[in-house]
Amino acid sequence: MVTSVDERLAQTFVELADTLVAGFDLMEFLQTLTERCVELLEVDAAGLLLADGRGALRLVAASTEQARVVELFQLQNDEGPCVDCFRSGQPVIIGDISAGNVVARWPRFGPAALEMGFAGVHAIPMRLRDQVIGTLNLFRSAPDGLDEPVARAARALVDVATIGILQERAVRQQELVAAQLQAALHSRVMIEQAKGVLAERQQVTPDEAFLILRRYARDHNRPLTALAGDVIHGITDISPGSQATTRPAPHGDPENSPGPASGPRS
Amino acid sequence: MGERAVKVWAWIAAAHEGDAPVSVAALCRAAVLRLAVDGASVTAVSSPVAREPVCASDEVSARLEEFQFTLGEGPGADDFRLGSPMLIPELDLVAARWPGFVPAAVAAGARAMFSFPLQAGIIQVGILSLYRARPGSLGAEDLADALVFADIALQLLLDAASGITGSPGYQPLEGAPGARAEVHQATGMISVQLGVSLEEAFVRLRAHAFASGTALGDVAGEVVRRRLRFGRAAAPGSER
Repeated sequence: MVTSVDERLAQTFVELADTLVAGFDLMEFLQTLTERCVELLEVDAAGLLLADGRGALRLVAASTEQARVVELFQLQNDEGPCVDCFRSGQPVIIGDISAGNVVARWPRFGPAALEMGFAGVHAIPMRLRDQVIGTLNLFRSAPDGLDEPVARAARALVDVATIGILQERAVRQQELVAAQLQAALHSRVMIEQAKGVLAERQQVTPDEAFLILRRYARDHNRPLTALAGDVIHGITDISPGSQATTRPAPHGDPENSPGPASGPRS
Repeated sequence: MGERAVKVWAWIAAAHEGDAPVSVAALCRAAVLRLAVDGASVTAVSSPVAREPVCASDEVSARLEEFQFTLGEGPGADDFRLGSPMLIPELDLVAARWPGFVPAAVAAGARAMFSFPLQAGIIQVGILSLYRARPGSLGAEDLADALVFADIALQLLLDAASGITGSPGYQPLEGAPGARAEVHQATGMISVQLGVSLEEAFVRLRAHAFASGTALGDVAGEVVRRRLRFGRAAAPGSER
């Protein structure tokens, strides 16, 4: 068991490090992180909250709809283990959410989490020394804690993620991170849409289109989600013949948007 | 459809009046009936300055949208850019954030507001807004249901554009979960095939699925595998 977790963990580190090289995309990285947490750590769902430019927590990734609801619910009410974890910078580990003291501590979070099918939560701060930038939250549907090797693996994943995000923030402007947060939860869908656009333009399969997108992102040191948006809008031409030409953005909104959403109010 | 989606769709169908096509009006009525809120509205938004009210369940909801359009601020004005729900259980506490909007909203009778973007990747068509006359948060069940209401509102707006919401037996389409990625890929491909926006491409894909009585995911799979092509009848792969 331990070896198996360690082996898969090592693979995940390689994968995350890969995401960290040129063409770093915060959203892609965080979404991958939550997905790997569920696969590796024997948890049923994972959510990730990150502080935006103004220090307010935002939901940026969730592996299931239930996790999304529970995270949003905590943010709405400013109450719950993930919020406390962010404020204190300390892990908050709740083996059994239905326990009396848990409900007393978070009268609104407790019932809501149970309603969504969660019995345990493990909130881990993303921190480097004094700076807390967010929390990774692992949810389980059975009321028992994580084994120590698994909990250790979770902390290691969080540490790698934290360093990755802080590096990104050191390199780029804070505003850019805030801008990237705007694409939260929709970046995967956008990348799929861009894969389709590129597949049709270059007559390749969507999988091949993804490799082309990714290679271009790396060669030009561009975040994948930003590149996906540019490809969809026809701003960036990454066809094999062209040498990375960037055309000016077409003006305003697409003219072809469907009836109800088009045009300003009369 | 998932269990929750089936439930919410049944609510909307039950709130449907007369022979008119199922519409966001029924959706707004159902939201007020089933969620602990006092009003609901749907606004089509194609850019921060292009907002078009589609329907509002009551006068207060309509005024809340009018304020946000006029002032350019509020939970549903920020929402469009941020792409994640904006949940404000007590408007009074966020007066500093929206100094123009909050006093107007409170004076109009709203004390809590919850805004949900109608969005799929780069496709953004509008906002679902809910308000309460008294402060208080949405419960977890209501929040989960509200997310589904928003998902269906997105589909209704898109499908209304192609007229299929008027068909008898209309209901929101949903591909198998595993097919979701292909739905978005197919949307991208169709947008290039027809030379239209992603919104329009998504509308056409859905209309085709509905008209042919095929699951959305299956139609998308055909497109991705180049067995189905939209628009100009070129042979697959013949044009570069």
